[in-house]
Amino acid sequence: MKTIRFFILFTILFGGNTFAQQLSKAEVQVNGLTCSMCSRATETSLKSLDFIDAVTPDLNRNVFILTFKTGQLVDIDQIKDKVTDAGFSIGELSATINFDQTKVNETGLAVVDGTVFKFINAKNQVLNGAVTAKVLDKDFISSSAFKKKAAELKSDTYLNGRGNVGGKDTRIFHLSI
Amino acid sequence: MRFFLFAAVVFLLGLSRHGKAQELYVFTEPASNMAAKSLGVRLTNEGIFSGGKMNRTIPEFMVSLNKNLMAHVQGFFSDMDGKYRLEGGSLYGKYRFLSVDGNQKHLRAAVFGRLSTSKRPVYSEDINLEGDNSGAQGGIVVTQLLHKLALSATVGYSKAFDTDDHRVAGMPVPNHLLNYSLSSGYLLLPVVYKNYNQPNFNVYFEVLGKTNPETGRSYLDLAPALQVILNSRTRIDLGYRFQVAGDIDGRYNKNMYLLRAEFNFFNVLK
Repeated sequence: MKTIRFFILFTILFGGNTFAQQLSKAEVQVNGLTCSMCSRATETSLKSLDFIDAVTPDLNRNVFILTFKTGQLVDIDQIKDKVTDAGFSIGELSATINFDQTKVNETGLAVVDGTVFKFINAKNQVLNGAVTAKVLDKDFISSSAFKKKAAELKSDTYLNGRGNVGGKDTRIFHLSI
Repeated sequence: MRFFLFAAVVFLLGLSRHGKAQELYVFTEPASNMAAKSLGVRLTNEGIFSGGKMNRTIPEFMVSLNKNLMAHVQGFFSDMDGKYRLEGGSLYGKYRFLSVDGNQKHLRAAVFGRLSTSKRPVYSEDINLEGDNSGAQGGIVVTQLLHKLALSATVGYSKAFDTDDHRVAGMPVPNHLLNYSLSSGYLLLPVVYKNYNQPNFNVYFEVLGKTNPETGRSYLDLAPALQVILNSRTRIDLGYRFQVAGDIDGRYNKNMYLLRAEFNFFNVLK
């Protein structure tokens, strides 16, 4: 049974050559921002990522709307790195994911564009269409919110942002939809 | 001169319709750093009125080595000993070790160090490592931002390395000093942001003090300043500092105005 499950996950992970861009947009709220100079520095830092097509700032809410290029893999961790490089931190990141018959297994795991997601409020279902999901991992929400969530979930995978998928140590993003 | 100052203030006031950047202090540095991989260039002019008018020009180059570590290199030119000349230079480094963020607020703490050299003769036990003395300085700075108000405190220790050949017979000799400051900055404009091109307008009020722990002599200065940020990249400062309490004989920057332009180049380093 276990082998079969691994096989299925592997097929989901590495099988299939059709690559369709499934992450199209993200809204990032940046904490600690206090000046337009800081916002501009953050925006310039984000723009240096090659998978980002455009950055639209909302200076009053300290929010940046990122649109992603089609046909390029989106590395969510690099978005976080660019914000911290500018001297600030992410308060909230919501991504628009375009699902196409995406299977969420019984533990809440799903694979989108080669990235492993764990849904904390969905399992055993098939997702379709555009869904806005909030990333709940460390450094994607405020440190106090992360501590609260960690106490609630009591999961090592959540604490480390990594877990064993198909026998391999893998980066796992935790999502709430 | 006074007319020029007045005209400059009016010009800056007129220029600034909107703003935000209230911890970019004029007479001290905040605990916050520049964004990683960025460069900055400053040109500062100090006009010192003590016994006659003197001018010092400070070109300054700033680089952020990573998100926590940044460095400044300064050169000092002045006419304080007669002819306008290069009188020295300084290397300043700052390491941010604490960063706590909230929505529109943050707390930062950093340690800093400075190494300076100067050709100037010494006449005072005051130590000014931005032009007048050779020496080293170390300290800590904590900055708290609460929406439109930014508060910052700095405590440092300076040690002069001025050699015997710079000393003037019969004059006090600099050794070491404690320096401390409290700075506040307030965002006046814009009330609501529209885009990066709105000029930002900030007002600053700083209290700057020094004490010689050996002799107990100290002084306290007040330093108000105005600032305009253009295109979220270029910064113009105009400030004035004056002594309100205590004194140290022969101190240099007793009554001083400062005019500065700063240009930032974000994310230009690989």
